[in-house]
Amino acid sequence: MTYLFIILYATTLIYFSLAERVKKFDWLLAIQGVLLFGIVFFDMQKIDTLNFIFILTETILVKAITIPWFLNKIRKRNNLKRKHEVFIPVFYSVIITIIIIVGSFLISSHFHDSKLNTKYFSISFASIVFGIYFIIIHKNIFSHVVGYLIIENGIFLLSLAVGSEMPMMVNLAILLDVLMGVLVLGIFINHVGDTFKSIEITQLTDIKD
Amino acid sequence: MIYFLASSFVLSAAILLFKNKTINFISVVMYLFTLSFFTIFSYIHIGRINSIYFKFDALSILMASMTSIISIGSFYHSFSYLKRKSTSDKQNSFYFASLIMFISAMMSAYYTQNFAVLWVSIEATTLFISILIFHTRTKSSIEATWKYLYISSIALAISFIGILFLSIIANSNGIDNLNMKTLIVASKNIDSMWLKVAFILITTGFSVKINLFPFHTVAIDAKTILASPINALMSTALVNVGFVGAFRVFTIISQTEILHWAQHILMIVGVVSILITVIQITRVKRLKRMFAFSSMEHMGLVFLGLAAGGIGYYGAIMHILFHSLIKAGLFFQLGSIRSFYKSIWIKDNGQYFRLNNWGGLALIVGVFSILAFPITGLFITEIMIFKSLLMGGYYFVSIFVLTLLSIIIFIVVRNTFHLLYGTVEKTMIHKNIKPNYGETATQFVLFGLTIYLGIAPPACFTKLIEATISVLN
Repeated sequence: MTYLFIILYATTLIYFSLAERVKKFDWLLAIQGVLLFGIVFFDMQKIDTLNFIFILTETILVKAITIPWFLNKIRKRNNLKRKHEVFIPVFYSVIITIIIIVGSFLISSHFHDSKLNTKYFSISFASIVFGIYFIIIHKNIFSHVVGYLIIENGIFLLSLAVGSEMPMMVNLAILLDVLMGVLVLGIFINHVGDTFKSIEITQLTDIKD
Repeated sequence: MIYFLASSFVLSAAILLFKNKTINFISVVMYLFTLSFFTIFSYIHIGRINSIYFKFDALSILMASMTSIISIGSFYHSFSYLKRKSTSDKQNSFYFASLIMFISAMMSAYYTQNFAVLWVSIEATTLFISILIFHTRTKSSIEATWKYLYISSIALAISFIGILFLSIIANSNGIDNLNMKTLIVASKNIDSMWLKVAFILITTGFSVKINLFPFHTVAIDAKTILASPINALMSTALVNVGFVGAFRVFTIISQTEILHWAQHILMIVGVVSILITVIQITRVKRLKRMFAFSSMEHMGLVFLGLAAGGIGYYGAIMHILFHSLIKAGLFFQLGSIRSFYKSIWIKDNGQYFRLNNWGGLALIVGVFSILAFPITGLFITEIMIFKSLLMGGYYFVSIFVLTLLSIIIFIVVRNTFHLLYGTVEKTMIHKNIKPNYGETATQFVLFGLTIYLGIAPPACFTKLIEATISVLN
């Protein structure tokens, strides 16, 4: 079952490169949140109530509901409809994304370390690399935040790959930090939009000497 | 530590709740008292573990001491700065509340021995400093805030990946936490590849705070527009936060056979950073930007000290401490300079010595100190760093870096002397601005302190530095 969720997660990455409308980014992020919950839930050896509540909060409440809802509000406020600002055509982006995914699985297959769960490592690596690629090919800062969130989802998967056993309090603090970071980034998108009348990164060149 | 963080939170909340000048002042005074008391408390209880995740070690005490001293100056200059800007009570309250939380987040980063808590604390500093960069709400400040917040988030995400790789070391040794002490023990029984990956990722991520290649750009942009009292902290205490993070990983690495590999990485980062400084500093048109690049140069030297080892370790730690005091003083002085002119550009600033002779003198002392002229603290530390480089056989690196430093000295001196004695149109100068001698006095104290600590360091100071570097090897 975990493999099914991992494949579905990889599919969302391809959809990200295919999506023409900014609205779809929010939906894809929400779907990724649900898939992350599925991956963790079906991999759990035993269900501990406290741990279950934490994972439910992190994946469903934060990643699948709160962040996409908040980004949707920002999208509407800044009147973002079509992305229309990518540097690379969609066709090539899809091919590059497939190369990233296949490449990640090939790289992971070379690791024979018992401490590393390769099935999670491959998809997390793909997600992180794709997130960076997504940021590079987009001009507007809203898409950059989406790219950042794809990287964050990749890091979440990486924490499963390395079997990280951080205490609950620290995990909570990290989650809160990321959530706060996204909320503050979102608020600043609005400020940039209001001040510069555009959220394209090419507008932000005032400070250089 | 928990009580200190809780009291910071309560004082910030009080400031935000009342939005009143008197409450701001009382809360700031109480906070400074708490901060100073806590630093002294940590020194008295050196070596003890506190609040599970924190420990009062020598490095954290040194950094906290510098932050406490600079914070006093920063709050003092903040009151003058806000008075000059005539900002609303609401804006002032946000300013002070964010400043208190920013300093507390830095203190948490210094004292923690747990990498996950360190990461959380550093991420918190990003959020609070972003609010402070945004304070003036100009077009430039919005741009700088966005860039800093976004790139810092990406950089810290990279460092978090590094921390996750550190957890492989922990897990393979049956450890369920990311404490420094346990990781040092565990690092001896692990495949060095994971440690190398973790080191590269963590150092790369924290470079956004240390103000070094590759993520230095956003910090430079932020410092270009940031208010001087906050700049004084961002260019010193926040830089130290990043350094502490990198130093903790370096401490783990120093116990393994990949120490030399790590030192070569640090050397490359240091040299590249100084080279970038030279390229960029020739093009700067604003004083704040010039001194922001100067921080990059000094952190490059600190990394060279760590890379060279031996006496270079001692020089590196002393260098970062002296840099903190001098750079803070210089940024405080830049705040005073700014009040005399209508323009921020170097070409429009001149005759400063005539307008504010004590301020001009402070600027000369500060610039000579930051350029490591003889008898200043940085002169002594740079000798230590270059001595260790030469003893290590890095002749080419030493000559190359010394050449680069000469170019930096020339440009900084040229721009400073233009400010002091250069001719400018009278329309560029504000009329009826009177020098604030109280502000200038704080700068002399900071510069004087580095000279004193460099020439005749007290025993407690040298013991703390020795204790800091004793954990290496």
